[in-house]
Amino acid sequence: MIRFEQVGKRYPNGHVGLHELSFHVQRGEFLFVTGHSGAGKSTLLRLLLAMERPTSGKLLLAGQDLSRISNAQIPFLRRQIGVVFQNHQLLFDRTVFDNAALPLQILGLNKREIGQRVMTALERVSLKDKALQYPSDLSTGQQQRVGIARAVVHRPALLLADEPTGNLDPRLAAEIMGVFEDINRLGTTVLIASHDLALIARMRHRMLTLQRGRLIGDGEASR
Amino acid sequence: MSTPEQNPNPAERAGGVRTKPEQPKSDEPDFKTLFHAWLESHRASVADSVGRLVKQPIGSFFTCLVMAVALSLPMGLALLLDNVERLGGSWQRAAQISLFMKLDVGAAQGQALREQILAMPDVSEANWISREQALEEFQQLSGLGEALRELPENPLPGVVLVTPSEIDRDNLEALRQRLAELPGVEQAQLDLLWVERLTAILKLGDRFVFGLSLLLIATLLLVIGNTIRLHIENRRTEIEVVKLVGGTDGYVRRPFLYMGALYGLGAGLMAWVLLAYGLGWLNEAVIGLAGLYGSDFGLAGVPADDGLSLVVGAVLLGYIGAWLAVARHLSELAPR
Repeated sequence: MIRFEQVGKRYPNGHVGLHELSFHVQRGEFLFVTGHSGAGKSTLLRLLLAMERPTSGKLLLAGQDLSRISNAQIPFLRRQIGVVFQNHQLLFDRTVFDNAALPLQILGLNKREIGQRVMTALERVSLKDKALQYPSDLSTGQQQRVGIARAVVHRPALLLADEPTGNLDPRLAAEIMGVFEDINRLGTTVLIASHDLALIARMRHRMLTLQRGRLIGDGEASR
Repeated sequence: MSTPEQNPNPAERAGGVRTKPEQPKSDEPDFKTLFHAWLESHRASVADSVGRLVKQPIGSFFTCLVMAVALSLPMGLALLLDNVERLGGSWQRAAQISLFMKLDVGAAQGQALREQILAMPDVSEANWISREQALEEFQQLSGLGEALRELPENPLPGVVLVTPSEIDRDNLEALRQRLAELPGVEQAQLDLLWVERLTAILKLGDRFVFGLSLLLIATLLLVIGNTIRLHIENRRTEIEVVKLVGGTDGYVRRPFLYMGALYGLGAGLMAWVLLAYGLGWLNEAVIGLAGLYGSDFGLAGVPADDGLSLVVGAVLLGYIGAWLAVARHLSELAPR
């Protein structure tokens, strides 16, 4: 699904975001990327979303070389990916339903199919009864669930999450992680960037550890 | 380095039964789906743009009004120039050659001359005005009727009014000379000077309107560009999210382009109304003034085709202004 081969990212100001990173992620895997602030977690996600390009090495996502992808192909690549943000990035002038429906509207599905898929996604995150409410009416945890529903509604092959539990208390964080696991069980590859080691340890999934842009650990998180 | 064997799936890791993951269904679009997507995207963009304009009625109204004023100025001047041209009559009429006959030329000879002139290839029209008709006309127009009746004999000659088929200074002069040599012609007069002056004034007016139009088009583009820039700023988060979930630049651009076109539509319609009322209001004074000169001249309103051109032009300007603004500001928004 994902293959990093000696991937490096150097910014114009000389800062090195990633040093010759190499690893491989199988389809259907669930893994964490962890490390301190500035370790390169966000850079890694930005490379996977083609928001930035590697300056060296080869990065393959579902067989597509992201170091060579054309600008016109980027939107179509992103349609295979779902993204969950720490700050939710919800649109507060739209209902929960409309927020979740956004990727499907971009795909141009008909209203009936959009309705069905959105309600399925909202049911998956236990927010079916909140479909017509606005995000401002929801709690932080519920807002994050809306973000997750939006990220999975178009059935992406890969789900990326950047510190998805950063603003949540431990109980809500565990709940959100449970949702990610449910999604993963349906076959979606899940990659979560997080620095919450306690939470990661409880989950017992594969964990990549970054430090100053280098991969210093790759194995199952242990308690 | 990780291998698939080292990284079993989550259920297996947790000691559960390894289940084959359900592969996400792919959305392979066929032509019908793509066409529907395209159509639906446009419909949604129009609905979204209309909704946003309606949500801010006062702001939208004033933006349209500013654009309408900018549009009506050059259009109004152009319409006034058209009216001046109409007032001056057609160019052919303005360039008539008057053949003043010798006093002894009678009606029969004048008519024969008229026939002869009419047969010339570079003449489109020729009219004979007898001495009696000329006197009668002069008495009516000059207001000197009583004084003229005191004269022992009619001092006015018969006249043949010749309308050339084309307006060209050199050709007209050549025609005038040929006509002057015809038997019975005392004087052939081509009064081209005032035609040339009027032409020059109208040309100046045209240039002024053209220059003003360019200036106001630039103003319109700036107004619409700035308005769309504000809309883009207000929807920054939405644009970023749309881009991240796979929206193409075209998808992102579309609602703003429709918004620009809608501003143009509103402005075009307002400008049409402004011009129609403005010319109507001015026309009252013009009719009064023309009446003092014994004329029934009045300003023509805004012709339907001009009005439609105004609206279509305004829509295009709105669209182009929005396109320029979106092209400039969208690339600044991350992610690309």
